[in-house]
Amino acid sequence: MRTADRTFGLLVVLAVGSSALLIALLAALLPRGFAFVTGGVADTASVVAVLVLVLATFGVTLGLASLFRQLLATLSLIRMLLSRRVTLSRRVGDIAASLDLAGRVDIVRDVRPFSFCYWFRRPRICLSTGLIKRLNDAELRAVLLHERYHLRQRDPLRLVVARYFAAGLYVVPVVEELVEYYSVQKEVAADQDAVRAMGGVRELASALFKVLPQADDVDLGLLVPVGSLSATEARIEQLVDGHAMPLVLSPASIALSGGALAGAAVLAFADGLHPALLTVPGLVGPASLLLAAAASGAAHQVRLVVVRNSR
Amino acid sequence: MITTVTDDVRRLKRARRGGPNAFLGPLETAVMDRLWKRRRATVRDVVDDLAKSRSLAYTTVMTIMTRLHAKGLLVRDRDGKTYVYRPAFTKDEHRARLSRDLVRGLVDEFGDVALAQFTAELDSVDASHRAALRRIGAKEPRS
Repeated sequence: MRTADRTFGLLVVLAVGSSALLIALLAALLPRGFAFVTGGVADTASVVAVLVLVLATFGVTLGLASLFRQLLATLSLIRMLLSRRVTLSRRVGDIAASLDLAGRVDIVRDVRPFSFCYWFRRPRICLSTGLIKRLNDAELRAVLLHERYHLRQRDPLRLVVARYFAAGLYVVPVVEELVEYYSVQKEVAADQDAVRAMGGVRELASALFKVLPQADDVDLGLLVPVGSLSATEARIEQLVDGHAMPLVLSPASIALSGGALAGAAVLAFADGLHPALLTVPGLVGPASLLLAAAASGAAHQVRLVVVRNSR
Repeated sequence: MITTVTDDVRRLKRARRGGPNAFLGPLETAVMDRLWKRRRATVRDVVDDLAKSRSLAYTTVMTIMTRLHAKGLLVRDRDGKTYVYRPAFTKDEHRARLSRDLVRGLVDEFGDVALAQFTAELDSVDASHRAALRRIGAKEPRS
């Protein structure tokens, strides 16, 4: 099994497991929260309950906002594509047909060289005229093989789901790190698929080289170098020597995620566990673990929204 | 009155759409080339200039120049009853803007779009990775 598939599987298991735990917590605290809001007892347990309800509402809002944003962006992209679509050339049509992609490829008029796979139920592949002009037949074939992997794996759908989980489960920050790792690994997997089908790395490598932003652009300061390996650099290393990028989760986010889940578990099953846990320190401890993770996760998710929208 | 307002709104929208990617079609390029050469010109000047190589209707050229004005590539002053157009950027400035737009990726243009891209345009790739990629891309196929 590919690293991309394993990562996505791990992500889904972790996300579903965490969601189940958090829903259990919500179910356990809902009666208390209601009692508090309707003017009931104002003890520590009720305050904790209301706090957790607020965090949960925020998570649901973040998740829905992420879904909404992604759908909106994708729809406006598709509208742009349809307005610039040109007829499929014989050359591209033949290559697509030989790869079982007949009727799934669109060409749009754009000088920028790009290709991507989009939409969810029945994904399609989009190539720009700028890309087609730059590549020879073998390179075009390699790029279409790369995109065919995304198409067959339904990677656009996986990405939407993954980002939705990351936003909604902001109290479990390892989910976001897994999404970032998955985004790179799906490209690596698509590259590997194309290389295997082509019988070598040459065509894919030269296609990738041709569509990289030119060195001049970097000199002009248009591209900001990132501290660690960029996604494209990781792909290049994988192509050059099969050097795989390991999954490295930051200790801080592991600690925060573990703390949040442990805290949630204690709070969710506190009633059934032990009367001693219902004392003030028994509730405040787990609640503050959850709160710490929530604060850090919320800050990160909000920053993501701001950065993605302001660039 | 109302039509002027709706026209203005439409023009604004068009300008914004044309804003980020100011790529030109062949006719627009021909017109811009004339304007870069002459520095200032009326629609009639451009029609006469272009008549040497191709014959275009006055209204066609006028439409193109209005569109270039809406895209922010031409500025115009009124001289009596006619407009006199000037390029808003020099040819070099225009080229620099183009290359900046080339780098700007789809993700950048559309925000949180859900797609699997062959390249993320804004990714930085340092010289050593670039060289390594070039090396394996140029390798002769194994026989």
